[in-house]
Amino acid sequence: METSRPVVVKRVPERMNFRQARLFQQEVRPFFKADRPQIVFDLSAVRQIDAAGIDMLLECMGEASRRDGDLKLANLSPQSAVVLELTRTDRLFEIYETATDAVKSFSSFLPNAVRQFYPGVGTAPTFAWFPRDSHTKDSQSDEEAA
Amino acid sequence: MDVRALILVGGSRAEGEEVLGGIPIGLLDVLGKPVLQRVLDRLEKFGISGAGIVTEVPPSKVPLTSGSVWPGMRWAEGEGANFWRAAENSFNDLAQAGAELVLVIRLGAYTEIDYEELVQFHLDAGCRVTRVSDFRGIPLDTFAISASRRNDAAYLFRHELREMRVPCDDYQFAGYVNRLEHARNLRTLALDGFAGIASIPPCGTQIKPGIWVGEHARVHKRARLLAPCFVGANTKIRASAVLTRGSVVEHHTVVDCGTVVENSSILPMTVVGAGLDVTHSVVGFRHIWHLRRDAEVEISDEQLIGALRSAPIRMLDSAAQFAMTLPRSMARLLLNKKPSRTPELSDAVCRPAAALKKAQPEDALETTDFLPVRRYGNE
Repeated sequence: METSRPVVVKRVPERMNFRQARLFQQEVRPFFKADRPQIVFDLSAVRQIDAAGIDMLLECMGEASRRDGDLKLANLSPQSAVVLELTRTDRLFEIYETATDAVKSFSSFLPNAVRQFYPGVGTAPTFAWFPRDSHTKDSQSDEEAA
Repeated sequence: MDVRALILVGGSRAEGEEVLGGIPIGLLDVLGKPVLQRVLDRLEKFGISGAGIVTEVPPSKVPLTSGSVWPGMRWAEGEGANFWRAAENSFNDLAQAGAELVLVIRLGAYTEIDYEELVQFHLDAGCRVTRVSDFRGIPLDTFAISASRRNDAAYLFRHELREMRVPCDDYQFAGYVNRLEHARNLRTLALDGFAGIASIPPCGTQIKPGIWVGEHARVHKRARLLAPCFVGANTKIRASAVLTRGSVVEHHTVVDCGTVVENSSILPMTVVGAGLDVTHSVVGFRHIWHLRRDAEVEISDEQLIGALRSAPIRMLDSAAQFAMTLPRSMARLLLNKKPSRTPELSDAVCRPAAALKKAQPEDALETTDFLPVRRYGNE
């Protein structure tokens, strides 16, 4: 089972006050309407973020989890990192150093993670999460037993 | 011998250094008293009373503690090049007033120099100017200058204390030095004060071992203060707030409900919003200096970090609020409407958590979604 759902990376504007937060939320709303949305917010450009900005992030996270999706944060600027820590919201999000890491993390769950570690597994018909070698050994021993 | 002091607050060589929120660190409170006051107290201990002070910031702009009064001090102001001109004039004034030796101290660094030893060294060496340096030989911007040597003093001030007219001996000092260049240094000074490394005892009453509280400070009974910590004068610590790991809250500050202050300093006249986590930081003047991330962040949102307004403005504000409430409640009475009570944060904080309520019997547990949680502490 492979996920082909897209991961949307969105750069958050420099100032996240009440007005900007509303505008940004309107802008990203369509992405959250998809089934199981996978969204990454890149906060590298953020220089100022206030309570309204944090509220917007939490609303977006709520929206994503309601649709069985996930919102991750990446590339936090020092300013945004300090405010997230101050408001205790840093512990609610998955935070990555780069947007690429955040995007990769969406495909790091089973069975995709298994495929990453054991590349040949995808072609095996059963017990896809075991290494190919062990699977073939088992089938050989079964044949021998027969 | 008539020894006087000239204290220069400002004149930093690098932009953004030795200043927090536009105010020199030397004028900010540390454990209830400004650094400048502590230097003056130290000078007084050595019998040096008459002092001149030159600052870049007018004293009216400095949020001094209510108890900080400097009688008999001569204040002078000057910005940029004028600062050094003001310093030169102040030196001349002290010399004319009868001083035989002038100690020039730039804050700058906070040092615990033995001034008696310095004066003796200066007299023994027979120099016009004696420069103080730390044990590594790095100058500390503290000088002993013979008052009759005005030209040497003028030369020194014109070169922003970097060059001397005639080479002189260095007085090497091995005691406590804090250069007070960044927010980090201010925090270190406070911690050194707690630890007794620096002789800057907290100004307040020690209510428990390691916990000092200033005059008229109000600490809510549900707030937790963990030693060592300091609560300045006229400060409000609201319900469920926690102060821990050497935190310092200076005078006229409000720490709102549920906020945790850990290993941080809150500068005077600051309002810290509710439910925040202030860690490893210096907070004040609507800024946060995060020491671990080495970042300075401006906070424009009053809900997070605000500045306490002056008393008359606060009074006007509360009067206006009262004036607004009166007609509203009268209208409500006339219309026979019950006031819609919005849940307040302080109520929510004081309410016991659902998990800490009386444990239910085992048979009742099967029907509920909650697991019993053990009561702990004094709850």
